[in-house]
Amino acid sequence: MAETGAAAAVRPAPRGATPSRRMLRLAVSRADFRIGLAGFLLLVAIALLLPLVSPINPTKIAYQVKLLPPFPAEGWQWPHVLGTDQLGRDVFMRCLVGLRYSLLIGITTVLLMFVVGSALGLYAGFRGGWADAVIMRLTDAQLSIPMIILAITILGVSRPTVPAIILVLGLSGWPLYARVVRAVALGERTRGYVLGERVLGASDWRIMLLFVAPAILPPIAFVAVLDVARMMIYEAILGFLGLGVQPPTPTFGNVIADARKYLLNAWWIATMPGLFLLVTLTCLNLMGSALERARNAVLQGEA
Amino acid sequence: MAAPGPADPPPASLLAVENLHVRLERGGRTRPILDGVSLALARREVLALVGEAGSGKSVLARAIVNAVPPPLRVAAGRVLFEGKDVLALGERALKSVRGNRIGFIGANPMGSLDPRLAIGEQIVHKLRSVQPGLSRAEARERVLAMMARVALPSPAARFHEAPFQFSGGMMQRVMIVDALVSEPALVIADNITQPLDVTVAAQIIRLIDSLRESLGTAFLFISSSLPVVAQIAERALVLQEGRVVEEGRVAAIAAAPREAYTRMLVARIPPIWKGVAPLPKVEGAPVLEVANAVRTYVVRRRGTFNAKNQVKAVRDVSFAVRAGENFGLVGESGCGKSTLTRLLAWLERPDGGRIAFLGRDLAALGAAEFKAMRRTFQLLLQDPYGSLPANMPVQRMIEEPLRIHGHGSADAARLAQAAMAEVGLEPELATSLPVGLSAGQRQRINIARALVLKPRLLILDETLSALDQVEQAELLELFLRLQAEHGFSYIFISHDLALVRRVCHRIAVMYLGRIVELADNATLFEAPRHPYTRALLSAMPTLEANRFPREEYLLDGEPPSPIDLPRGCAFRSRCPRAAADCAATDPRLAPFADGNAAACLHPHGGDAPARTPEAADGR
Repeated sequence: MAETGAAAAVRPAPRGATPSRRMLRLAVSRADFRIGLAGFLLLVAIALLLPLVSPINPTKIAYQVKLLPPFPAEGWQWPHVLGTDQLGRDVFMRCLVGLRYSLLIGITTVLLMFVVGSALGLYAGFRGGWADAVIMRLTDAQLSIPMIILAITILGVSRPTVPAIILVLGLSGWPLYARVVRAVALGERTRGYVLGERVLGASDWRIMLLFVAPAILPPIAFVAVLDVARMMIYEAILGFLGLGVQPPTPTFGNVIADARKYLLNAWWIATMPGLFLLVTLTCLNLMGSALERARNAVLQGEA
Repeated sequence: MAAPGPADPPPASLLAVENLHVRLERGGRTRPILDGVSLALARREVLALVGEAGSGKSVLARAIVNAVPPPLRVAAGRVLFEGKDVLALGERALKSVRGNRIGFIGANPMGSLDPRLAIGEQIVHKLRSVQPGLSRAEARERVLAMMARVALPSPAARFHEAPFQFSGGMMQRVMIVDALVSEPALVIADNITQPLDVTVAAQIIRLIDSLRESLGTAFLFISSSLPVVAQIAERALVLQEGRVVEEGRVAAIAAAPREAYTRMLVARIPPIWKGVAPLPKVEGAPVLEVANAVRTYVVRRRGTFNAKNQVKAVRDVSFAVRAGENFGLVGESGCGKSTLTRLLAWLERPDGGRIAFLGRDLAALGAAEFKAMRRTFQLLLQDPYGSLPANMPVQRMIEEPLRIHGHGSADAARLAQAAMAEVGLEPELATSLPVGLSAGQRQRINIARALVLKPRLLILDETLSALDQVEQAELLELFLRLQAEHGFSYIFISHDLALVRRVCHRIAVMYLGRIVELADNATLFEAPRHPYTRALLSAMPTLEANRFPREEYLLDGEPPSPIDLPRGCAFRSRCPRAAADCAATDPRLAPFADGNAAACLHPHGGDAPARTPEAADGR
């Protein structure tokens, strides 16, 4: 039984490092995080390097090798280990290029949402008053527009380039970060260390950037890993709807959309990109949920 | 001598703990928590259990009702209560003991009941669960009767109120009702005065003392403070690391402790009146001048759309602190000392009045001038854990104030290292993070952070209250040494009157946002003029005889809400000396011939203020 009263609060056991480092260390010590990380790094390495060194052009049409099945099946041909599509293009290479776009868009979007959302949320929560009211009404307005409607409007009017797609996804995602960061910053504002800095004469900007941000952002950044997976799915959805990066550039979404017609006699064209997406998302989710659990464990341990 | 008949009542001893061992078992290792504790408690007796945090007091309290939680385990021993071994009872039999024959009052009155339900219903429910034969109406009757006995005003109405509608002191009375309503033979009171203000705590002690006499209940009174238990217990048991080190009459232990540990405990308790050397008078130039400072918060009235209430947190406060002086600010919770602290540290601005530092009004300074002035007055916060950023190495933290004020990094590093040496932080700590540092080390970092700016005034907001006695003494010594070397002035904001008695040259007592008395140390503790000061002193737990007996000076009731202050003198609703004119005139702080001041129309001591109240300025 814990001792009663104020004396119990005094002197918790030393635990070695800052909360964020403890979270990271705890997450890394988990097997699921390590498996996720290893798988993810492997996929990223293949997607980045293989198209550079391989002689196969993922957009080159070759009717003589069209609709080849993948590796163990009867009739497959080297080097098309995952088979070819209706125009004789290599499915494996098309998947890798699709994964490149998917990762590029997913990671950049999350970075953008995190930076913009956190900056606005931090400012709103820490300064309060008018800034808070204006920024929070902006998040309300943004959240009232469904992402797909926004995507159809913007990507339908302008050309669906990579920056445009990132902008659309980022626009629909930043308010969540702004709200979460604001809520935490609001609580930090009255903490002792903030008061201590004020008394020493530090400006609000100095306190926000040097103290509050490093204290509250890492745990939120950890969980953002899960959002990369979410954004990759959205990218695939946009591609499927024809609002993603346009053919002939292969993306998960447009490849699957094209291959629907051949699902009965050439199942691999649509299935392979799906599998790539599935494995990547699983790796990301393993990492994300390990980080999330580590965060909860550390926060509860401190409470 | 008459032989006891077969139907005679049980033996004189109500509770006997025999050779009790409790162990902590975790991961294959065991650690003794209670190591062979024995005690005996007679009917109607009050036995005190004294020990520091971690000495096993609360575990013993739990073992008595056979409720030791894992990983703790009772390894050996017996607990005989009314002749039965509690440790050998089954769950059903225990139910008739716990909460029924043995009541419990804890240190957290606010968290002990369901916040959603009326307190009366909850106590009725509990009473009927331990005494199933009771009808609802009978149980209700008994709860109401007990509420009246603990002097809860208008029991019938308060029966239906939820916990949040009670103050801390009133809620503690509710918990006493809860413990006593089943008419137990023994009540375990674990640290019950710890969360309460000193005058309210004294009221609760007085109440328990009277209930014990009228109900004949025995009390096991647990506390970490010997002076607290001296107020109520005849006999005390001193516990250290799970062992009973000394047992005897409280007065005897206080006067002549036998064991080294108990001697140390007693020696740490500073004297208040007996053999206190008067502090010299400090005649420096004023460093800080506060003139008629006012701070009012506007809050929305509950249950309305735009009706506003004014909370007058600081009302017309004036005082000055001289160079090299220790100025004390005392008062109970809600008296406005936290708000005043924020005003003094210029974290908030006053709504009215003037706060001047080194002769310059802070409100009139430009941003750059103010930042420079900021260096000269610093606030040290109470909580040593929350007040340091978690991810900054120690030396960098101490460089921080210098960097804020534009020093180069080499210069800042040099000064920070010098400051670390000066406050007694080992150089090896320079690169470590604050995690794992003790409260005392953390406060030293805070002191070093303030020190590098070469301030003239340090405001200590309960800075020492989170520390244990040894660390407190060390830091106090450090403060006094720094004062001798640098000529600092200090403002001690504290509820600890003993600390204030030791170090402060002049002391201001606050009540409901106003300074009611401002006097030098000797006058304030030996011949205070304001009745509230006398009430505070009378409520202070001491081992020596209190100069201000409670029967004469202790107050009833609690401070009124700062939202609707009584007309006239805000203190008159509780003042034993209140007269008709107190309702008409709100007395201002007025000086006497000896330079001390009190805000009272009928001060103790008989002499009238030297000047008219309107001319008062409190210097």
